[in-house]
Amino acid sequence: METEIKLKVNGHLHEIKVDAGRTILEVLRQDLGLTGTKEGCGTGDCGACTVILDGKPVNSCLVLAVNADGSEITTVEGLTQDGRMHALQESFLKHGAFQCGFCTPGMLMSGKALLDKNPKPSELEIRQAIAGNLCRCTGYAKVVQAIQDVIS
Amino acid sequence: MATRGKGGISLKKFAVVGERLPNVDWQKVSGQAKYCNDLSFPNMLWGKVLRSPHPHALIRSIDTSEAQKLPGVEAVITAKDTLGIKYIVMGPPFEDKYPLAVDKVRYVGDEIAAVAAINEEVAQLALDLIKVEYELLPAVFDPEEAVKENAPVIHDHVSNNIAAKAERNYGNVEKGFAESDYIFEDRFVCQAQSHTCIEPRSCLSFFDADGCLNMWSSTQSPYFIRKELAHILSMPISKVKIHRVFVGGGFGARSKICEDEAISALLAQKTGKPVKITLTREEEMATTRIRHPMVIYLKTGVKKDGTFVARYMKIITENGAYNHTGPAITGFAAMIAASLYRVKEVKVDTQTVYTNKHVGGPFRGYGNPQVTFAIESQLDLIANKLGIDPVDIRIHNANRPGDVTPCGWVIKSCGLAECLEKARDEIGWREKRAANTPGVGLGIASLIHCSGAYVYADGDFSAAFVKVYHDGQVEVSCGSADIGTWSNTTLSQIAAEVLGVPLKDVTMLSMDTESTPVDMGSWGSRTIFTAGNAVLKAAKDSKEQILEGAAKLLKCEASLLNIREVEGVVSVVDPKGSSVSLGEAVLASSSRIGQSVYGRGHYEPDTELINRQFGTGNIAAAYTFAAQAVELSVEQDTGKVKLLNLVGAHDVGQAINPIAVEGQIEGGIVQGVGYGLMEKHKYDNGRVVTASLMDYKIPTAMDIPHIVPIMVDSEDKEGPFGAKGVGEPGLVPVAPALANAVYNATGVLVKNLPLNPENVFFAITEGKGVSE
Repeated sequence: METEIKLKVNGHLHEIKVDAGRTILEVLRQDLGLTGTKEGCGTGDCGACTVILDGKPVNSCLVLAVNADGSEITTVEGLTQDGRMHALQESFLKHGAFQCGFCTPGMLMSGKALLDKNPKPSELEIRQAIAGNLCRCTGYAKVVQAIQDVIS
Repeated sequence: MATRGKGGISLKKFAVVGERLPNVDWQKVSGQAKYCNDLSFPNMLWGKVLRSPHPHALIRSIDTSEAQKLPGVEAVITAKDTLGIKYIVMGPPFEDKYPLAVDKVRYVGDEIAAVAAINEEVAQLALDLIKVEYELLPAVFDPEEAVKENAPVIHDHVSNNIAAKAERNYGNVEKGFAESDYIFEDRFVCQAQSHTCIEPRSCLSFFDADGCLNMWSSTQSPYFIRKELAHILSMPISKVKIHRVFVGGGFGARSKICEDEAISALLAQKTGKPVKITLTREEEMATTRIRHPMVIYLKTGVKKDGTFVARYMKIITENGAYNHTGPAITGFAAMIAASLYRVKEVKVDTQTVYTNKHVGGPFRGYGNPQVTFAIESQLDLIANKLGIDPVDIRIHNANRPGDVTPCGWVIKSCGLAECLEKARDEIGWREKRAANTPGVGLGIASLIHCSGAYVYADGDFSAAFVKVYHDGQVEVSCGSADIGTWSNTTLSQIAAEVLGVPLKDVTMLSMDTESTPVDMGSWGSRTIFTAGNAVLKAAKDSKEQILEGAAKLLKCEASLLNIREVEGVVSVVDPKGSSVSLGEAVLASSSRIGQSVYGRGHYEPDTELINRQFGTGNIAAAYTFAAQAVELSVEQDTGKVKLLNLVGAHDVGQAINPIAVEGQIEGGIVQGVGYGLMEKHKYDNGRVVTASLMDYKIPTAMDIPHIVPIMVDSEDKEGPFGAKGVGEPGLVPVAPALANAVYNATGVLVKNLPLNPENVFFAITEGKGVSE
């Protein structure tokens, strides 16, 4: 049975029909073609699917679309505005804070959610904010440096 | 010998090489990078694989009739839908696996059948409708049990489940032990490790109107995939096309054929439609390759001044259910045993043993981490007994330029001693070891590894084109896959340096068998060295052709010309200051093809294919070295280890891009921390029960302290601009450095990995190094 929901994604309003069991990860990737958000596990353990939902970073693989009706979502695609990358993205590029890049969208969203709430986090607070974003390539070192550099 | 600290201070020898330039693949931060599971074609079907729930069983029958009838199912295949050809991997006599099980399954996860359907749900429902009749067989899960007389027979073509064995006499150990003042004997146990790429494996196959197989796959080696698929499907190589796609990690898991690649191709062939298979995280953890568990017996003879005299090692490698690259990894491990430090007499006995568990394969280090864990952990026991500082005993025995190791490795550039000194100084070894803070320990460990290796009869080569357009833009074309290693950026930097263009004027075409010349793959720490040299040659070829064209226009000898920017345009300039743009020179070149100049580069180092009979050969044109130091604290009541400082000093030759090199060191160290401290699989009758990221713990940002990567340049003559590989070395010394630090903190050497709280606690409580 399908329900119609409204989602505002990266500033655009969408009206979509969804089955009860669909997650917002599936809706973003399959219905809206926003493949920047990744599925790494489907069980909320890796953080690759992190998006910002009504101001909070969430594992989009664990949020049912019907429960997100009326919400505002920001994905990695929403960080670039008018062709200009967000300061966080520029910092990731400058510091080389990515290798394979698969965890990167999730890292960026966790980083953005942190900086939106806490513009001057300590290194510990940064590590806590990305504790739910697993990375196998970088060892986290340059990710932390990149987020720190946006503050200073 | 030059040392560069974390700041990557360049000696300004070069304009582009050695600079901290940003990665060229900006799409990774914009979210536009497309990985396999992001791809979608019209009429695409979803593929799913039916896997054995049993560790060992005969297949009596497979009934796919109900599955075939399910609406939305377009194909169901079993072994009878294939040509009955086995995978090559290492080649004969090691070929032991079919794409789909023929009469027997040998581990929980073994592929039996596959389905292509209109969506994932229908595909999963169809799998549930396939009826397989099994006759269960007794299974064996321990290699030391598997070799016994009455053990279950996993493969009929070998006895006692011994897939391969070897006796490597790299010297006379009996003589060596007789000359030793002290002899040490210890047993070490290394566990399985999962690569845990954050991207679950995915591939998409499509047969086009020309009958060509087109594939997009999370792979490190389009070269090997193409070779295997052409073999399995009996197709000409030219009709198998592997296309460029972003790949979410590899670490060796994807350096050879993966089962879903052949299966998606078979389904695409049967249905005539594109078929995508993406593994679930559970499949990724339980059914893809692992680092081989090993049991290692190590007997070492030393003089009382700490000089190594003799080393005997017995390695029992747990293969898992099939060969894949097990025997090759064991062979490489034996070579490391013969080469780490100067040891005159070495003997290595090896057995690679089948068990009914998931299959071992290549994983960052390729047998090196296990052997280095044994040698480097025991070395601290030796140092302690002899009253010699652990760093001093290592420097004393360090490999030096000009050495030839007992298995034939010819060491040219070598910065091991300097790496040890730098790591020691950076971690504050002397002061902190003297301070002897309770509960805190420092440990150090060394590395030798190869920079590329000649281990396949196919060769050890790479090839590249460097094309220069008539507008002065440059395009580098090479089959290497950038799986996160920054090779797209560093190879572009090499071309930019030679041609005198800024990096922004270079585009990289990679990883496309249809349009890029072959590279054997991103593995063995070979890319910067082998592909780098191919790009270097191709760029020099282009430059020569360009200078020839400019020489005609400027009426000047080519040897007198330089390339540099003139009023913002990259130009060829003569001694008088007259210039033509790069593009004008291209159009004047006698050897141009159409409107471009094509530089060609094929590089094959002067090395020896590993000799399978003796296990010898100078398999690499350059060897890399490192030393890593660790500071940690141990909680006596719980066995919990807290990391305080990590230092990795790596001999990488010239760092083409210091950010990239630091990234490999930092990332390798953290993956090594996972191996050393926390990663462990648990099994229930051969089934992996830790097949999730909740149960199988890998390091998070909270587990890692400050890491200091240090680059040492031993000025290699063969590498491109002197560069050596660094893809694997970061991981290798971590586990023994951790074990040695725990030994320093507690007085107990833990000899079985990982050093999780359980293992450390019981080791401390029992007061000795415990082996399982």
